[in-house]
Amino acid sequence: MTSTFTSPPGGAPDAAKAPAVAADRVSKVYGSGDAAVHALRGVSVGFADGAFTAIMGPSGSGKSTLMHCLAGLDTVTEGRIMLGDAELTGLNDRQLTMLRRERVGFVFQAFNLLPTLTAEQNIRLPLDLAGRKVERAWFDRVVDVVGLRERLGHRPSELSGGQQQRVACARAIVARPDVIFADEPTGNLDSRAGAEVLGFLRSSVREMGQTIVMVTHDPVAASYADRVVFLRDGEIVSEIVRPTPDAVLDRLKSLGA
Amino acid sequence: MLRTTLAGLLAHKLRLLLTAVAITLGVGFISGTFVLTDTMEQGVAKTFAKSAGKVDVAILPSRGAGKGPDDETGIPADVLRKVRGLPGVTDAQGAVRGEAALVGKDGKTVGDYPTFGLSVPTGRLLRFDVDKGRAPSGAAEAVLNQEVADRAGYKVGDAVTVLDHAGRPHRFSVVGIVDFGIDNEVSAQGGVGFDATTAQAMTGRKSYTEIDVLGPDRAAVAAAVGGSYEVLTGDGLAKRLAKGAGADTEIIRTGLLIFGLVAMLVSALVIYNTFSILIAQRMREMALLRCVGATRRQVFGGVLVESAVVGLVGSLLGILAGIGLGAGAVAALSRFASEVPVSGLAFAGRTVVVGLAVGVTVTVLSALLPARAATRVPPVAALRSELEPGGGRFRLGRVRTALTVLLGAAGLALGGLGSLQMGKGPTAMYVVALGGGVFFLAVVTGMPALVRPFGRVAGAIPARLGGVPGRLAVENARRTPRRTATTTIALTVGVGLMSLFAVVAASSKATSAAKLAEQYPVEFQVEARGGAGPGRDSGGVVPHALAETLAKRPEFAQVFEVLGKDTEIGGRSVTVASLTGRALGTVLKPRIEAGSEAALKPGGLQPGTVLVDKLIANRNGLSAGRTVQLKTAHGTVPVKIAAVYTSPAPVGEVLVPEADFRRYFGAPGQSAIYIQDKDGVPPEAARRVVEDAARPYPTAKVYSGAEFEESVSNAIDMMLMIFGGLLGLAIVIALFGIANTLTLSVVERTRESALLRALGLTRRQLRRMLSVEALVMAVIGASTGVVLGIAFGWAATRAMAEGSVFSLPYLQVVGFVVLAGAAGTVAAVMPARRAAKASIVESLATD
Repeated sequence: MTSTFTSPPGGAPDAAKAPAVAADRVSKVYGSGDAAVHALRGVSVGFADGAFTAIMGPSGSGKSTLMHCLAGLDTVTEGRIMLGDAELTGLNDRQLTMLRRERVGFVFQAFNLLPTLTAEQNIRLPLDLAGRKVERAWFDRVVDVVGLRERLGHRPSELSGGQQQRVACARAIVARPDVIFADEPTGNLDSRAGAEVLGFLRSSVREMGQTIVMVTHDPVAASYADRVVFLRDGEIVSEIVRPTPDAVLDRLKSLGA
Repeated sequence: MLRTTLAGLLAHKLRLLLTAVAITLGVGFISGTFVLTDTMEQGVAKTFAKSAGKVDVAILPSRGAGKGPDDETGIPADVLRKVRGLPGVTDAQGAVRGEAALVGKDGKTVGDYPTFGLSVPTGRLLRFDVDKGRAPSGAAEAVLNQEVADRAGYKVGDAVTVLDHAGRPHRFSVVGIVDFGIDNEVSAQGGVGFDATTAQAMTGRKSYTEIDVLGPDRAAVAAAVGGSYEVLTGDGLAKRLAKGAGADTEIIRTGLLIFGLVAMLVSALVIYNTFSILIAQRMREMALLRCVGATRRQVFGGVLVESAVVGLVGSLLGILAGIGLGAGAVAALSRFASEVPVSGLAFAGRTVVVGLAVGVTVTVLSALLPARAATRVPPVAALRSELEPGGGRFRLGRVRTALTVLLGAAGLALGGLGSLQMGKGPTAMYVVALGGGVFFLAVVTGMPALVRPFGRVAGAIPARLGGVPGRLAVENARRTPRRTATTTIALTVGVGLMSLFAVVAASSKATSAAKLAEQYPVEFQVEARGGAGPGRDSGGVVPHALAETLAKRPEFAQVFEVLGKDTEIGGRSVTVASLTGRALGTVLKPRIEAGSEAALKPGGLQPGTVLVDKLIANRNGLSAGRTVQLKTAHGTVPVKIAAVYTSPAPVGEVLVPEADFRRYFGAPGQSAIYIQDKDGVPPEAARRVVEDAARPYPTAKVYSGAEFEESVSNAIDMMLMIFGGLLGLAIVIALFGIANTLTLSVVERTRESALLRALGLTRRQLRRMLSVEALVMAVIGASTGVVLGIAFGWAATRAMAEGSVFSLPYLQVVGFVVLAGAAGTVAAVMPARRAAKASIVESLATD
């Protein structure tokens, strides 16, 4: 990642601004009666605009559920989700779909790309779905930053795992969403490819003011974030600002993960 | 292993049922055919048994002795006298059967063919059911069968006119409605019954078609009448009659079973595809089985057992469906075709055996290749992450390419040979059919390579108009070429045959219209009740006075007569005909095949010469230039064959000059009047003039060329509709195949769909995406079928007969593709709903 974004000017997260996305006393229960599973128990957390936040926690802590609820992929049992000024709770499926299309980007662990589309078509997919025009200059810049210029015409099966994840990142960035949700984006990558993807995500925050919320269980990945929040048994139990891998690892150990 | 297979099947009941549907439909059709035809046969047999049971001994003319009903080869009256004198005979009656034309309320004879005059037996030998009134007795009473009474609008108590064998009218009072039993001729043409004496007087028949006897045993009668007659017991008679009628049922059964086989072929394609996809999707399961110690043989066996269970379930359901289908058909038949007797549903063990055998065999055979593929899965595949099953670019292997090219070339060569090189006729058509079959095999082997380009073409419009979902759908249809190929080919079969029939039907219509217009340019034809033109077996002379009356009318440009006489030429029986006036070569233009063209010029046919129809010439070994002996009323005369001709219109078998005809035969045996309008005369007005002029002559019936063309066209349309209905089943099965493939693809693409939904694809767009995918598959299949159908329809038309005109029914053919596309999107409804309902979060988590 040698090239960088030059505008808009980036900087440290501005704590005074309203959060880009926030959960307000959110609970999520699967099943009912004796079989009920409380995935989230009254979680309240905000994710600052223009910040890179990681969500960590042991398996079953509810971190993926929290992300799904924040992104409007899943509904909450109680509480509210605010995406900027919009309240997600109470929207129907179509409204949620439109909102995701316009304001949310995704990078998943695997299976991020449609096998029938080329890299370029995959990158443009959210814009095409929304019927929005692609700003050519912006598209070119994103493509150059992720280093995919030579690979635009290839299909996912012809790309390496790292390249595939970079296509996914580019897809998320090009649409300029309010928030990008990344679910274990480096889970399937070797450390070098993982570092590239994470560096790319971080520079998009620093230099473009992009907001990113990332779920991970890897302390090294989490150390790229500005802030890490820890979940256990469906509750926020701790957080670290400006984390290092060691600090994150220590905190995880203390949480008994 | 068996337990694992069965447990797996039970865990996927829906999948099992969906797969079985294809077999169910095919087996249902086949067993339905058996139920229907068995029921018909049973009804016929029962009716005959009941009717023949009233007879102790029946005497029939021995087979092969008579040439037809026209020849007096019945049983002479003295046989009846002899039988009556035998000891122990309490009653013996002869059956009379001949023509006796019933006259309708409009003063014309009823129907195109004269009604039959039949004797109604008396006493215990009365084999017919008297439905209303009573049996006739005496010279002033008659009975009618239900069909002719309905057609002519007569009921018991009405007075009717019936023409005798010489055309003289007689008055009768209708005293009853009688069912003459199962007799196709009587059902079609109508029957009028009299007592025996009156029947003989009316029909002019001196001999009997059958003698029924009460009293003695068969041997005594047989001994008395001698070897030249067949003597049967009542049971024997019932069996003989049922066998004759059974031949008709056999034709219906064979016809229906052919369509059943087409349906099973399509089912086989669907089953093959379903199992291939299932095996591909369960690669890990298979590999896991191998890992824990299953041998290849066990994996193979497991898949085959699975297919056998599917086949069994499908066939059993199919047999149930078949009973329902048969019952429905029987109900419809007894409602609309009352002459078919039906008594209870016949359900033979054979129906079950054949249904099960066909269903299970087809299923297991279709699963053989997928089962073999399952054995190729290496155990290590259980540990590998799954590749997309069946995906990627498809390359034809060298063997497959060679096979495709070879079969394609052979198919085209056979088609070309049959349509362009060979002599026209059935043999050439068989060659074309064989070519079509071989070329279809080439399409089967080559289709996977063609799916991608075809998909691009078929998807061009949806991809442009459908936005992102449309583009994705087209890509999806193209991404698994083998799967899409088999799915679409299943549809190609039905639509291809449909288009073939449509093209052949349209071409036949165009051909008959063109030939009529070219060589038969008359607007009206007046014929004596026979209706078949001056050919053999047509009776009656249209009075010459009518021709003279018509000739005086200003509306007509040409009025001429075709005179005919049955006689012999070179010892063989033929019909000699002659056209009056200058009609030959001007109005009626037969095509000269060999010999003098000048013979067709007005007055060109010289005295003492004849023209011979090509068929007759070939049959009797005659050729132009030869001199043959013609039997006339005054002995045999030598005539020279001026030319051999062909003609689509029935102008007669041997044509002679008018003066010769009068000299040879005097009066004609049969005749018809041909009328050509003057230009500018409205057809309705001309028709009224002809009708008015013909009114005084009960047997003179007016036919128009337009009507004839319409009746030919209607008959062809009817045939096409029946074929279409029967082929519909194969098309429905193919649509189930599309639904099946999509359902399985949806399962396979669960995560992909979830990703799209996460990125902002609405439920509706997801559903539309699957509809478009189905649409593209249906259009590929239907278009391929249409192209094949048109190509081989053209070849078949060329091969059919000399001078066939090819006609492409554009609207129908486009309609097939549009309908198939629409039906395809309907097939996508269920899978699409299922895909749209899936939760995004859960789908993202699936493996």
